[in-house]
Formats: sequence, structure tokens, C-alpha cells
Amino acid sequence: MSYLKTKTPRIREKRLDTLNAWLGPAKSAVGEFAGDEAVQRIRTFSQSTNDDVLHALRILSRIENSVTVIHAPRGCAAGALYHKLALGQGNWLVTNLDQKDTIMGADRKLRKAVTSAHRTYRPEVLFILSSPVAAINNDDIQAVVDELQDELELPVIPVFVTGFASRNAVTGYDIVLHSILRQLVRGREAGERNGRVNLLSVTEHRADIQEITRLLTALGLELNILPDHATPGSFVQATGARLSLSLNQDAENYLGTVLRDEYGVPYQAPGRPVGIEATGQWLVAAGKAAGLEQAAAELHRQESARIGRELGDFSLSGVRVYLSLPPGMAFSVASLVEEFGGEIAGITVSHLDVLHKARLEDIASRHPSLQIHVADGQPFEELNILRRIGPDLYIGDGNHLGQVGRLGIPVVSLEHSRLLGYDGTLILCRRISVVLKNRSFGQRLASVALPYKESWLQRSPNWHIKKEVK
Amino acid sequence: MSYHIDGSRNSCALHGALQLIEAIEGAVPVIHSNAGCGLQHYLGVNRLGPGTDPYGGPPVSSSNITEKHVVFGGSSRLREQLKNTVKVVEGELYFIVSGCSTEMVGDDIPAMTKEGLDQSFPVVYANTPGFRGAVHQGYELAAKALIEQLPSLSKDKPEQAENLVNIWGIIPHQDPFWAGNLEELGRLLEGIGLRPNLLVGYGHGPEDWRCVPDAVLNIVVSVWGEAPARLLEERYGTPFLVVEGLPVGPAAGRLLRAVTDLLGLDASRTERFVEAEEKRLDRQLSGLADTFYRAGFQREFALVGESSQVVGLGEFLTRSLGLLPRTLIVTDNPTDEARSVIKERLAALVEDWDAEVFFSEDHAEISDLVVSGGATLVLGSALEGKAAETLGVPFLPVSFPLADRVVIDRGYAGYRGVAALLEDLGSAILARPHQ
Repeated sequence: MSYLKTKTPRIREKRLDTLNAWLGPAKSAVGEFAGDEAVQRIRTFSQSTNDDVLHALRILSRIENSVTVIHAPRGCAAGALYHKLALGQGNWLVTNLDQKDTIMGADRKLRKAVTSAHRTYRPEVLFILSSPVAAINNDDIQAVVDELQDELELPVIPVFVTGFASRNAVTGYDIVLHSILRQLVRGREAGERNGRVNLLSVTEHRADIQEITRLLTALGLELNILPDHATPGSFVQATGARLSLSLNQDAENYLGTVLRDEYGVPYQAPGRPVGIEATGQWLVAAGKAAGLEQAAAELHRQESARIGRELGDFSLSGVRVYLSLPPGMAFSVASLVEEFGGEIAGITVSHLDVLHKARLEDIASRHPSLQIHVADGQPFEELNILRRIGPDLYIGDGNHLGQVGRLGIPVVSLEHSRLLGYDGTLILCRRISVVLKNRSFGQRLASVALPYKESWLQRSPNWHIKKEVK
Repeated sequence: MSYHIDGSRNSCALHGALQLIEAIEGAVPVIHSNAGCGLQHYLGVNRLGPGTDPYGGPPVSSSNITEKHVVFGGSSRLREQLKNTVKVVEGELYFIVSGCSTEMVGDDIPAMTKEGLDQSFPVVYANTPGFRGAVHQGYELAAKALIEQLPSLSKDKPEQAENLVNIWGIIPHQDPFWAGNLEELGRLLEGIGLRPNLLVGYGHGPEDWRCVPDAVLNIVVSVWGEAPARLLEERYGTPFLVVEGLPVGPAAGRLLRAVTDLLGLDASRTERFVEAEEKRLDRQLSGLADTFYRAGFQREFALVGESSQVVGLGEFLTRSLGLLPRTLIVTDNPTDEARSVIKERLAALVEDWDAEVFFSEDHAEISDLVVSGGATLVLGSALEGKAAETLGVPFLPVSFPLADRVVIDRGYAGYRGVAALLEDLGSAILARPHQ
């Protein structure tokens, strides 16, 4: 059991050579992953962005019948309040650490919070989320886990995020998935072979999960969806599945890898099912792995004919599109844009790692000088780039779309929006049609000044990206 | 000693400081902490009181410290971040705020600020780690920093304004209607010949803060405005007036009369002004009367919010609209001393009627209290929506956090606020006809 022995998985930088600061043409991006170890870069100016705590909160809010005790001062729970209200999910408590706790430690307070959470919600599983303060203070969370797990007779899962150990927030997804597997399935034999297919889904839109379920069920597959809306039982069942199917490698690669390497569940990771062609390819790859290639191809023929009729003469011909998305999303939406005749004007990805090597090589072979920008957030760089490129359309899921709008560029947000499968494609194309047809909001917004100095916008956008001095 | 909280609506001191700084036009927060602190604030505060984000996204500068800085200290990273913020981000005043990690590591924030000042950067700082308290303490810390550090920042003082009055205690976002409430209070004070200094919101920048010492009076609209008012009394001898909750309707008239008295203003002018406002309110209420009776506005209500909201809205609902308070829950953790005053005020809202008054910020507890109270109308935050649903009664979200409302310049304070409140409350009641 090599993966699950340690308290936390290796951070993304170490495990997948993940970069979070880079700018250059596609052809050079490929070269970054040619050597033994990618060269890390840092920023000498930065803006607030995601960290592993926020990504962990995102994924935990979707585990069914669970409650999370956030072992932190109040502010670390703000993101959880957002999930609770905006998405209507996630029960949580915060231990509300104060100054004294940062000196004396707060194990007792944690124990009380866990007991109280259990009393209020009677959950099937309870998570304890660490935090910067708990990490620096070295609070003994494991001792509380060991003690209360027996007493309360339910799995208590510690999630050791820190907010600073990794520059890549996706490490937070790895940590949660690692912690769940470590606590629920480590040391067990693989679950009984159950013929199900694990659909690996991390923070996907509910309607997207329904669309994919609709397609795979039509093929006659029985699904075990996780970690979105999963229960503890889903993880145990996952070890005996016939196959794991990826929806977005960036987020669930760790889960697929561990299930494959430790429990022998094959892991299929085709690109995301975004756009008609890619959905077809994804479906065929899924069908093939399950021995249902013919049926999948037939389903694709029917569905693509239906969507084709509904889309009518939708085209992106002559439209230059800028994408700012997590890498797996960005590359799949890029394919969709090209499928409808559009041109990719540039791409910002939240991170980049060895998982994207093949996609990068493909892009570099067709558009060697296409500019790739690696930044999670960092709108100061992105706006500098956008002003130079002047695209006709911007598709992104960041928190700074309000700034992008001030450049007068039509914006389509992919945050909490449907995207996957045939229906997702249809919905996205309709949204694009609307924003391209009427640009008045952006034109109006263009008269609002950007928060940045003109002298910065004149500078090279990679000015603040430097090689790390160790 | 602090306790764990279920579904806390009160975020941390760092976020409270950011709420104030972001609402000052031209002030740029520079966060010295983990990457996530600023985004937590954006998601869990800005987005839950929507429509008023000044930057079009999360705060524009954050040092995003990593393991290296936790182990070896992050002061030099802050030095670099401050220098580059001044080069990249447009601003008149740069405001360093620290998070938990950098405070636990012991980074020297004052020294880094001084280095910035030596290079002629307009910079101030506040130590605001989340573990120092809730948003309310963060607001106090940031206001204190501005009061103490701004005077030495610039030699040339703005021209002294006559009859200037500062307004304290309305925390941007934590009062979702902060902008509208302040504008209305400003309008009313102007009506009696004063120059209101609102300090935050559209058109209010560091220049307004530099005028703070010149004020003839500090008006304190919530318990959280008392600390800055006391500090100003101590430093400049400025008197302050504490208002009993957010002034809604007739309470606003009472405030204007008290200010007139205190400052020796033209009393007949004030009377004329207040009478005109009252007359307009009479007209609005009489116009609403038919609907009021038909839809059964007179209900027993639950009200959940910050102390100033519960006192202010509670007073108007009971004394002008004839509703009965069933469950009143104060969520902003006032001091024990303030609690007894608030409790007394709330208990006396309706003669021979004991409203149940609670102090809590625990979502599970508040929901239980609202449901078991059995009110026939619920006013609260979005977190109380489910309790209202359980009771099957009309629900109006009025306090932080909001989820399904956009607020730009709506407010419930003063006389204009009454119309907004009646519109919203009436619509909520009409959407769920009388049982």
C-alpha cells in the first residue's frame, strides 16, 4: 500500500510537476515537462486566489450525509458559508480558534465541536478540516480522531490541508481524496466485484452529472458516482468496480490512480465530454472499456443528429476566443470552439502539469505560437494579456470576470454552469450566441476604469514571474 | 474563550477589515497572508451581499505566502509585495492587513509599513489575524488604524468643513444595505443643515477620512461604532451620540431632533423638515392600509440580525406597523454590558408583551429557536429561509448573509427606507397569502 501510508499525499508540484506561474508559446510549454523535474516559478506580485483549504471545502460540501468540522478561526469557514447558501449544500461547524488557542492549542475545543456536530446532524461520516492555524500550531488532530472514532462509532476523517504547503490549490482535492481512501478503504481487501462503473466526478454541476448518467445508463451501465454526492459506502464499493471513468482528470486523477494501482480497477481518462465530437469520443472510450463500443457509437449517432438539428447554423467562424479555465476544462472547451469553426486567441490555465503533455503537444503542433498563460486568478496579468490580444469572446470560470468585462469583451461564465455532454454543448452554444449578438453591457462597462495602473498594462505581462531561487 | 459555531455568519477580523477598506474609494488592501484568505472573503462575504464589489473580483493584492515564509518568516515577501502593489495597482492609500499565519510566524508588519513610508508610499497597516475576533473587531481595528495613522501621512490637510458629522458603526456588507442606509442618513442630516461624512461608499475616499478630526459630532449607529467614537473623543474631544439601533421612520426624526438639541441648530428648521418627512410617511401608510388589512400584515414576527438591525427594524415593525415580536435574535455578539441595554430596549417594544430575546450566532440553534417560536412572519438572513419554510410563513431576507437578493443602493434606514421596507415586506407577504 504505497500511496495511503502517509498522512497526506505528495503535493502536486512533486507528484505531477505542476506549475502555477508561467507564460509563453505552446511549443515551449511542452519543453517544460521534458526534463526530470519542472522548474518552478514564483510571482513577485500576486493576488489572492484559491488554496487547498478552499478546494477541500468545495469537495467536502458535496459528500452526502456528512458534516465538516473546520478547525480554524472563523474566516476559514467563509467559503463554506458560500457553498451552503449558493449551492444549498454542506453542513459545517467552525471551531472558532482565538488568540489563546494559537498559543495553548485547541484539542479540547476540537473534541467538543466534533461531539456537537455528531449530536446535531447524526452524519454517516465526519470530516475534520485542518487550516493554516491548526497546521502551524501542530494541533494533534489525529489523537482526536482516534479517540472519537471509537466513541461515536462512525468514520472521522482528518483532512490535513495547510493553505501554504502547495502553490497549487488542486492539491486540496488530492488531500481530501487521499484522506477518505486512507480512512475508509486502506488495509481492506478490494470490495466484492460488483460490475459497476465508477464515474469520477469532482464538483461537477448536478445537471451535468444527470446528462452523463443519462448517456451511460442508456448504454446499460450501472454507475457508482463519486466523490460528488457520494456516501462512505460509495468509496468502499469503488474498490470492487469494473472500471473508473474520468470526467475531469485535473480533479480526480488521484482517486482514479489509487483505485487502479491499489485495487486493480482500470482507470479510463479520455478528455472531458465537451462538444459533440469529444462527447462522442468520450462515450466510445467508455463503451469500449465496458465492451459496449457498438452501442456507444450508435448512441452518439442519434444524439449528435438531434443536437445538430437543434443547433441549426450555429457557428463561431471568424470569432477569436480567449479561454481562462482549469487546464482540462480549457483544452476541452478549446476543442469545442474549434469544432464550431472558432479560433483560439490565447489560453490561461489555473495550473499545468504532466497530465496535459499530450494535449499540449497536439496544440503546439497545430498552433506553435499560441500563448499559454499559467495562473490561478492573477487578473492583473490576464488583463494585460487580454488588452494586447483583444479577443472577440472570453470564456472563463474565475472570480474576476467583472474585471474582464471592463475591457468591453463579451464574457461567458462557466462557473456553476452546465457544459457536459450533448445537452451541455447545446446550452453553452446558446449562451455564446446571446453574448455575441448583443454587446451593450460590455460596451457600457468599458467606460469603468481598471484597478491597474497604465504603466503596468504597458509592461510585459510576465514581468512578475521569476525563477524560484532556492 | 471562544466556542465552536455551527454555520457561522460572522467571518473573521481580517475579513471585517477588508470590508471597511474595500468600501473606501481609492484605498487598496494589501493582504499579507495565505493565498486563500482574500478569496474566502470574496466568496463568503462579498458574494453574499451582492452588487457592491469595487474591483470586479477578489482583492487585488495578496502576498500569498508559502511554506518557506512560514518556516523562515515572510517580512521580505511583504516588502516585495508592497513595493510592487504600488507599481501595479491604482490607489491613493495602501492598507496592509495581516492574516493568521504571518502573525503566528511573527512577521514585523509595522517595520515593513515604515519602510514603505520612508519610500513615500501612502501606506497604513493593521494587525488583523482572523483569530483576533470576528468581522466586527476587524472593522474596529481598521477604523482605529486609519484614525491613528492618517494624520501623520500627509502634511497638507484638506480644507476644514463646517458642521461636519461622521457616521460610525455601519459595517459594509455585514449590513447588506450599508450603502443605501448611509446615503439616507446623510440626506436627513443635510436636511437639518449638517455636512454628513459617510466615510464609505460611492465618492468617499481617504480624503474624507482625513477630515474625521474636524467633525463637530460623531454619530454611532451600532455598538461597533463606539470604539472609533471613543478614540476620537479622547484624541480630539469630539462629542458622540449613540443612536438606539438603526433609525427607521419616526426614530430618524428623533435622531434629527437630538442632534439639533446637542449642537444647538435651528430647531424650527428641523421641525419643518421632520414634519414634511412624517407627512409623506403618513401618506404612504394610508395608501397601503387596504392591502395591509387584506393580506394580514399584522403578524407575530421573528427577526434575526445584527443588534442595530433588530433594535431599529423591531421598533418600526412594532411601534408604527402594529406587529408583535415573537422571537428576536441578535447575531453580532455584543459585549455583556451592551447586551443588557439591548435586551431592555427590545423587551419594552410593546407594552405588556414579552418578546423572547436571544443572543446567538449558531445557525443550528437559531433555526431551532425560530421554528419553536412559531412566528407567522420571519425576517432574517438567507440562513433563516429554511426555518421560515418549515413554519410555512412569509420570509424576508434583511440581514447578512443574503443569497437570492441583489442590493445596490436599497436601504431600510430613515424615512425613504420605510418605503423600501414596506415594498419588500409587503411583496413577501403577498407572495404567501394569509393562511
